[in-house]
Amino acid sequence: MAILRKDLIRELRTREMIISMILFVLLAMVIFHYAFSVKEDADLTYFTGGMLWVTFIFAMLLGLNRSFAQEKDERCLDGLLLCPVDRVTIFLAKTAGNLVFLLIIQVVAVPVFTLFFVSRSYVGDLVPFLIVMLLADVGICALGTLLATISMNTRSRDLLLPIIFLPLIVPVLIAATGATTLIFAEGAGFGDLLARVLFLLGFDAVFLVAAYGTYDFAIGE
Amino acid sequence: MSDSPDGQEGAPPLEIEVEGLRKTFGRREVLKGLSFSLERGGFLSIFGPNGAGKTTTLRVLATLLTAGGGTVRVAGHDVRDDPMPVRRTVGLISHNPMLYLDLTAQENLRFYGDMYGVDDREARITELLERLELSHRRHDVVRTYSKGMRQRLAIARAILHRPRVLLLDEPHSGLDPRAVDILDGLLTEIRDEHTFVMVTHNIAKGLEWGTRLMIVEDGRIVYERAAGVDPESFSAVYREHVQEGSVL
Amino acid sequence: MKQLVSAPVLFVGAGIFLVTGLLLAFLYAPIDASTMGYSQKIFFYHAPIAETALVAFGVAFVAAILYLRSQDPRWDRLGVVSVRLGLVFSLLVMATGMIWGKAAWGTWWDWEPRLTTFLLVCFLYVAYFVLRSVVEEEQRRATFAAVFSIIAFIDVPITFFATRFLPAGMHPTVITMGGTGMPGSMFVSFFISMIGMTLLLVALIRRDLAVEELKDRVADLKNSIGG
Repeated sequence: MAILRKDLIRELRTREMIISMILFVLLAMVIFHYAFSVKEDADLTYFTGGMLWVTFIFAMLLGLNRSFAQEKDERCLDGLLLCPVDRVTIFLAKTAGNLVFLLIIQVVAVPVFTLFFVSRSYVGDLVPFLIVMLLADVGICALGTLLATISMNTRSRDLLLPIIFLPLIVPVLIAATGATTLIFAEGAGFGDLLARVLFLLGFDAVFLVAAYGTYDFAIGE
Repeated sequence: MSDSPDGQEGAPPLEIEVEGLRKTFGRREVLKGLSFSLERGGFLSIFGPNGAGKTTTLRVLATLLTAGGGTVRVAGHDVRDDPMPVRRTVGLISHNPMLYLDLTAQENLRFYGDMYGVDDREARITELLERLELSHRRHDVVRTYSKGMRQRLAIARAILHRPRVLLLDEPHSGLDPRAVDILDGLLTEIRDEHTFVMVTHNIAKGLEWGTRLMIVEDGRIVYERAAGVDPESFSAVYREHVQEGSVL
Repeated sequence: MKQLVSAPVLFVGAGIFLVTGLLLAFLYAPIDASTMGYSQKIFFYHAPIAETALVAFGVAFVAAILYLRSQDPRWDRLGVVSVRLGLVFSLLVMATGMIWGKAAWGTWWDWEPRLTTFLLVCFLYVAYFVLRSVVEEEQRRATFAAVFSIIAFIDVPITFFATRFLPAGMHPTVITMGGTGMPGSMFVSFFISMIGMTLLLVALIRRDLAVEELKDRVADLKNSIGG
């Protein structure tokens, strides 16, 4: 908990992170708009899910790199490792911190993207969407935190992360994008989403356990 | 934390026991079987050329590195099998302050205080900031601190949880004379409460403080004895082992 | 690792099984009656190669767990060797799959679940080598590679499962819950090819391991000379 609070205080103090992330999201929206405006009055409803999750994952890459860059810069990680806490606790705190970060992005991105791109009202389907989103977020943050810990301990740091993170996160992308599209475009209920929701739940569980088992090694000696 | 008062009779118990410590980085054997021990309240000064394995030894004692072989015990706990009590016992001061630059002094100390579960956190922080002459800056972000001030705050960070053993990794390097004075004053002040291991290139300081002296070269102990050597002859021995000439 | 069977014996054995499998595929197994016709013969190599690739990654996965437990560099060597061979086999899977796809469906590439999964598998294990290349310190490199190898292998079936959510493709589902859906003669040929391919993997792993060991010894010797 102390780690999470420390990271949050730090983020709020500098503010650079939040502001640049919000700008990043808005710019992504504009760029997607131009990239997909292939004909007049094109309906992008079916593509919004994909755009959102691509934006989230790329924003997450930036956030993950940062969340560890600062620990590494002033050797703060050593200070952290000196403390009498389990490495797994550090993992959970960092995952939670990254989750907060991702949620902030989503609070901005989801209304903006859907306002511009989705042609039907989805307000009634908000609950299933939030559930899908949260489940996918946990998977992204858990796996991302584990891999970011590894990549920041290597020579190439931020360059390595996308190469190891993106292929592993594809399952989440597939399930989350599919579910989001079904919700926005067709107003799918829980029945249609059940398989994907269970899949995301399974993904979260599997990788939380895997990270639990390997984090000691990932954080390095 | 409190030493038992009846430990007066006989030799004080051993605080640090190192037996056959080995460590390899890839193919390079950095530590080739070090054995030494230090009694509670002792002050061990470790000298040696760069790359001899001094800092590695210190990092093993601090549980930041795992030993490749041999056993290391701090305050009776094995650093590998039982690291938590060791971490509670040990404080590390190195040339990296390990502070978050975007947090204030108070926030940094609060954070570490929580991590160590310091009970009287606020009182302890106030006391330390007072002692280290940082009270007037406690609400300033560390980024605005001078190097000397950061180093002082780093000391506060390291002794916040009242460690019994302090590990010092070249604490004097990069400090201006004023900061050295403050550091020395502080060491004097806390000398009696702690056991020290100091890695240093600074012969004068090492001899001044050390109750035991050790020279490490190429992963081996090449010289070890109790203090009380006269500085001239020690310097001669030191030069013999450290050929680089980049002494002090 | 004791030398129970010498490497040449394994290679010869693999060769015998593979050639036999090939002969059986062409001479014994019936020509596919439905849609594929003669092009279906490539299946007798395509599927065993795919199976072998997964076995290789499985070996790497087990080696990774054993490495993390023991920190013994030999397990790291086994990991590297297995992943490398698994990657080679995966590329062959893609190649044979594309050839087959061209012949059967008239297209080199189709975003269908299995092919897509293998594409991701290739990316994953290429990433494994990228990761290795950016860590200098050997212990650390081995540790990170092992962690990644574990995560990657867990991710493979999950990815395959996820690709089922995609709009359906046209890959033939040969082995289902109900059975193999193959005539007996086809199954025999297929099975023999599979044994041959697995033997080939074992032989290659052993040879590569020996090479890696030699490399390490050379490096050690160089080191001891260089001081």
